[in-house]
Amino acid sequence: MIEEVVMRQDIALDDFLPIFISSSLVLVFGGFYVGIYTAVKVKLLKKWTMPIAYIFWMLTAYCLYLMGSLMHVGEFTAKALVVAAIGLFLLPHAVYFMQHQVHEENEH
Amino acid sequence: MANNHLTGIGSESKQLATWYFTFAAILFGAQLLFGLVAAIQYVMPGFLFELLDFSVARMLHINALVVWMVFAMFGSVYWLLPDETGIETIGIKIGKLLYWVFVAAIVVVVLVYLFVQVGPADETSIWFIHEGREYIEAPRWADFGIVVVALGFVANLFLTGTAGNRSGIVTVLMADMIAFAGLYLAGMFFTDNISVDQYWWWWVIHLWVEATWEVYVGAIAAYGLITMIGAHRKVVEMWLWIEVAMLFGSGILGIGHHYFWIGTPEYWWEIGALFSALEPLPLVAMFIHVLYDWGKTQGAQDATGVEVSVINNKPAFTWFVLNAFGNFLGAGIWGFFHTLPQVNLYTHGTQFTSAHGHLAFFGAYATILIGMMYIAVQGTNGIKVMKHTKSSLWAVSMICGGVMGMTVALTVAGYVQVLVSRAQMGATWAGYFDGQSGMWFAQAMDWRLVMGAVTFLGFLFLAKDLLSTGKNPVHER
Amino acid sequence: MAKTSVWSDNRFWQRSAGWITGFAAVLLIWLTFDTAGQIAMGTDEDLKNGVTKRVPGPTVINYKITYEMSDKRGHEVPYIGGNDGKGGSLFQEKQKFFGRDDYSEEEAAALLHLGKLGSQTKNCMNCHTLLGNGAYYAPDLTKAWLDPAWQDDGTMQAMTGKSTKEEAMAEFLQHPSTYPTHARMMPDLGITAEEAKGLVAFLKHMSSIDTNGFPRNFGKIRGAVNGK
Repeated sequence: MIEEVVMRQDIALDDFLPIFISSSLVLVFGGFYVGIYTAVKVKLLKKWTMPIAYIFWMLTAYCLYLMGSLMHVGEFTAKALVVAAIGLFLLPHAVYFMQHQVHEENEH
Repeated sequence: MANNHLTGIGSESKQLATWYFTFAAILFGAQLLFGLVAAIQYVMPGFLFELLDFSVARMLHINALVVWMVFAMFGSVYWLLPDETGIETIGIKIGKLLYWVFVAAIVVVVLVYLFVQVGPADETSIWFIHEGREYIEAPRWADFGIVVVALGFVANLFLTGTAGNRSGIVTVLMADMIAFAGLYLAGMFFTDNISVDQYWWWWVIHLWVEATWEVYVGAIAAYGLITMIGAHRKVVEMWLWIEVAMLFGSGILGIGHHYFWIGTPEYWWEIGALFSALEPLPLVAMFIHVLYDWGKTQGAQDATGVEVSVINNKPAFTWFVLNAFGNFLGAGIWGFFHTLPQVNLYTHGTQFTSAHGHLAFFGAYATILIGMMYIAVQGTNGIKVMKHTKSSLWAVSMICGGVMGMTVALTVAGYVQVLVSRAQMGATWAGYFDGQSGMWFAQAMDWRLVMGAVTFLGFLFLAKDLLSTGKNPVHER
Repeated sequence: MAKTSVWSDNRFWQRSAGWITGFAAVLLIWLTFDTAGQIAMGTDEDLKNGVTKRVPGPTVINYKITYEMSDKRGHEVPYIGGNDGKGGSLFQEKQKFFGRDDYSEEEAAALLHLGKLGSQTKNCMNCHTLLGNGAYYAPDLTKAWLDPAWQDDGTMQAMTGKSTKEEAMAEFLQHPSTYPTHARMMPDLGITAEEAKGLVAFLKHMSSIDTNGFPRNFGKIRGAVNGK
């Protein structure tokens, strides 16, 4: 499964800055998504802010796509990035679900 | 059940912990001082030339870093053991003896670094001066000393953990610390093959800082949440196990991102890319967890109708929250943007790595260990609720601001290097110096020095606060 | 007491953590065995028989080494003793190293051993990067042997008054601050003539390691290198 073309193409000089910025924003937006989601769930934020969390996830996914295409990633890395995006999507749901269960069991 | 600090007074384990913290803080200061020397040399290359060259200053800078963190890590374990297990640490006398052995060895190593510096190209130099391998330069005699001390520490931990109440936190620490000590062995041999050399060298460096140390931080954060805000132990410990799974699951094979260019086969590109992409997830998760537990515990408190903060140690909690955030920022964001092989081809070995190193070591480790020092100050002085002082706030803001400033400056410098020295000139000697002499690079280095000085001033405030805050009457006793 | 779910069971998560860690560790160990085989140092026999190794044997110092684009691999690779035109090394063309191109396996291994020891005891890695790892205060040494500055038309041979690059490099290593190229200088590390020879052998050997195309575009812009 070696990606033959991993390094075939040079990254264009003008593409470095967008790559660095988009890959940083991946986690910045990802952090906002997860943070807002959790804050709403523990009632630090009002419920109507939830869609904003999902908008941030979409921005994350877009940045991952942008970063990947500017870097000319191959098929395998592209799949790895999709897995990471889905993982990030599920993460706060899973965390909340599990934490909630433990709290339910232990505090009632 | 929340841990009660006040039971710890008179514990020998806790006393030993404060010794470890004290020496750690001294080495932290030394780290910053030698860092400043190296930073000045970037700006004024003649500074201490052929007296204390960059290579020596930097070796001391990064070795002091590793050693102060190891000291503070050992100290934190000795601190929390009586709380977690409910008994005094077993073998504490040997623990204390080994502490002095460790300190003496460090002092000798540092003096040799400073005054001998380099030796002839033979095995004797490797045995008695230094091994010249970044981060684990300690000469071989000291390697064996470190192994003995580490084994003594692990033995203390295991004996106490099995004899007393072996909590989830202690169980994780036991497994983690044995791996931490064992991995050091991978960095203790000499080989003529530099690819093999660096292959095993990363076993020590990567499997420490991106696997075992991260898990250690998870365990300490769990202890901190229980101790400082009274978080529910079952929730925290379950979460700790999930973190262990996520950190080791992504971190162990994440080592692949160091195997892109050192002579190792191409398949590490895929392995490194996949697991590096996953590595930030546990860091994000740790961040939410702190937020979640804080929100839940405070919410439960507020529901009782008494509006009072659940945090019983403000400075320590501040550093713990900074840890959750800094880990995500330094290890997560600053790690992720140069981790994929496609872009790492150009960023590998530039100031980007240095920017990431500064923010990640600080965010992921320095913060939480400073937090533990505050917990120890609180415990030894029998303080019920510890508050911020002017110095503690100055320390937090100047150290964080300084490190962040250095990181941004180094990132700018790295960007210049990537464009000029790498993408265009392909890492030649001339390309390297063209990058270094660029205006943006030079100014970034000026700013790095300024921000380094800010960090050092912050450290002075921190030292003053740690020494004096215990007697300050603002705290509730 | 509410119903207990597997998701909130500490034992379940403890076991999961154990299994996941164990699985990752076993996979790493398995890959380590594979990699160890692939990066084991080659022998003189390999070089003579035209066997390509990721890390060639020490007698590679008898050969000419170049770093060129391979269409097959999609990046630059080191070619030993010439390019066979099909993406592989020819292992034919020799190059004199301190006047000789017939170092025996023992002689070459001894030189490399001395050089590798020197690279550690002189603390190269705390200013330079080797294979991209180390400090960033001085140039990367991965392909230093092939650096245009040291070639026949480069600046360094003239500066050190030597007529071959290995001699120029060895001279520079022994008296670095006598030949300053920039305000930032290499300090005198007490390197002897023999140690310098070993270090240059180490550098030549390192340049023959297959680093998967790192560094990219090495020496692509030659005009700038030679100050044109």
